[in-house]
Amino acid sequence: MSATGTTFGSGRRSAVREFGSAVLTIMTKELRSRMRGRRAFIILTAYLGVLALITYGVYVTVAPFVLENAGQVGQGTSQANASRSIGQWIFSVLSIFQIILVSMMAPAFTAGQISLEREKQTLDLLISTPMRPGAIVIGKLVTALAFVVLMVVAAIPITAIVLMYGGASVGDIVRQQILLLSVAIGFGAIGLFASALMRRTQAATVVAYGAVLALTLGTAMTYTFWTELATRDQGFVIGARPAAPEQLRWVNPMIGMLDIVAGVEIDGPTRFTAPLYQLFGEDLAVSGAGFDCGNFGCGRGLEPVPDPALDVLLPSPTGDHWWPRVALTFLAIAGVLTIASMRLVVPPGMRWALRRRRPARFDAATVEAAPLIEELGEAER
Amino acid sequence: MMSVPVVETRGLVKRYGDQVAVAGVDLRVGPGEIYGLVGPNGAGKTTTMRILATLLAPTAGEAFVAGIPIDADPIEVRRRIGYMPDFYGVYDDLRVWEYLDFFGRCYGVPANRRPTMIGELLEIVGLGEKRDAYVESLSRGMRQRLCLAHTLVHDPVLLILDEPASGLDPRARVEMREILRELRSMGKTILVSSHILPELGEMCTGVAIIDRGEVLRAGTIDEIERSLRAAALIQVEILGGEEAVAAATTWLAGHDGVGEVIRIDEAVDGPARLELPFGGDDEAQADLLRAMVEAGHRVAGFGQATTDLEEIFLRVTGQPRDEVEA
Repeated sequence: MSATGTTFGSGRRSAVREFGSAVLTIMTKELRSRMRGRRAFIILTAYLGVLALITYGVYVTVAPFVLENAGQVGQGTSQANASRSIGQWIFSVLSIFQIILVSMMAPAFTAGQISLEREKQTLDLLISTPMRPGAIVIGKLVTALAFVVLMVVAAIPITAIVLMYGGASVGDIVRQQILLLSVAIGFGAIGLFASALMRRTQAATVVAYGAVLALTLGTAMTYTFWTELATRDQGFVIGARPAAPEQLRWVNPMIGMLDIVAGVEIDGPTRFTAPLYQLFGEDLAVSGAGFDCGNFGCGRGLEPVPDPALDVLLPSPTGDHWWPRVALTFLAIAGVLTIASMRLVVPPGMRWALRRRRPARFDAATVEAAPLIEELGEAER
Repeated sequence: MMSVPVVETRGLVKRYGDQVAVAGVDLRVGPGEIYGLVGPNGAGKTTTMRILATLLAPTAGEAFVAGIPIDADPIEVRRRIGYMPDFYGVYDDLRVWEYLDFFGRCYGVPANRRPTMIGELLEIVGLGEKRDAYVESLSRGMRQRLCLAHTLVHDPVLLILDEPASGLDPRARVEMREILRELRSMGKTILVSSHILPELGEMCTGVAIIDRGEVLRAGTIDEIERSLRAAALIQVEILGGEEAVAAATTWLAGHDGVGEVIRIDEAVDGPARLELPFGGDDEAQADLLRAMVEAGHRVAGFGQATTDLEEIFLRVTGQPRDEVEA
């Protein structure tokens, strides 16, 4: 009478289907409440409007300057390259604007996902269904990110304007998209983890943005200070101080985006990216083909744009790429934090729900530890 | 043949550190019963229900739902129960049918069955007209009924309802009661809790009175009433003037098993009403009446004073009224 009413059977394949269907269930519900009404569309329109304005603004500002100086000695841009130069400017500004925006928005969309369910007392109803907590968490993450992804992807046509000017290739746009999406997933997972960790949405938001600041400004400043100390005249100190670990740069989304942007720059770090290059030391700029433009090195420059299809994920044969490391680091962060969030969603009394196979009994450790853990949980309630 | 009980617990214990929330609860609820858990707030009703709903692990003891041990196969147990917590929220920004559709998906109800299922459930809980309304526009009673409907999406054998009538106005309470009766007639077994006994008394086939984590009394309401009325309160109406009443009072006071006789009204005309605790069963009561009549007293009325169920409950749990109501 009861169990026959459900489609779920047993076995591994049906377990996968069950998981997938649970994720879809959460997504459907979230999208129904999130995308309803005009709000989502107004936000998206406003976002694209701002991007279009920026594009126009960069063009209006940069074009006269570039055209005037093109071909002059010491300016680095030949007349023939003026159009590409404009394209690169637009691409750079749009990319950096988007990476900042994604870093700010992704946690905002996820930081309330679980704590709001707690605050509104809907979590109990949800976790008392036969759905796996993992499916609930992943469904929430995917849905929350869906809108961020929509914003990123919807901006492709605007970014694609640079293809008209030249200077940035389809491959560059693909790289930019991969990084934007990985960072969105990573920061989204950070927000979700904060949401599962803290009982209140307010606290979760603070924690999530603290993490974002630490990973952007924090790593940049640490790296700079460390490098400064390590390379300073060491006087009587015997032995060199260790250099700042390069992993600090892997967790910084700005680095990844600058790497991609540097790949398209003709004139090297004489532009707005120069201070940022310096911030992270010059070796950053060895990415891209080794076009010589001074101490900093810089992008692919005047060399022919390589086949984008081959260039997307393969590191350049002549240089080191940072952005794939940044992207992979953010995906790894997302993986770890999503698993951690699953554990936090499950109340202490039902740890069994985390196991893949149904256990025959509570193990002794669970039963012994349960009162202690639950005491904490109950006290907060 | 003895059928498998839908709910069975043996020595269920739940401790939070030093605090004992449930101290060895034994329950047995047969198929098709409406079983009430009654007790003051903090008595352990919610904890017991959460254990049965597989949201809490018991510290000790065993619990079975439809014969399945809850700790051995919690997912299977969940497919057989519908759980309504005492405090819960609803997703405001969904329409009523979307809300039920969502939980239908959660329980794996096939897509082609969901529309019919939603229609039927909304009829049962009387929200048929609200199908397309937003959940946030529903009144409290309607939300409560919607939450009840959500427990039914997967056609469970057992409903675990924690204080389903709390915070409802009298009319909504009656409606809720009607729905529960209807569900019972559909063959559902219902475990329902309340801190007010009378609320459950009328519809429950069995009741367990719980206080401080222990079952103090269990059985049908009648059984509990009888066991508590070791000293039943008898009301007697005597005709005649003050003298007759005084004589009857003296006679009654001298009779075996009768406690203190109180005159409870001062009507000028009509029968005088006396109330007396009497420690005897129905036979003894009949004998008392016959003896009274034979002794020449003019008895116009004789019967058990209807004690409030609440009074029984208070006598069992031994708490002053205000604390229980609070």
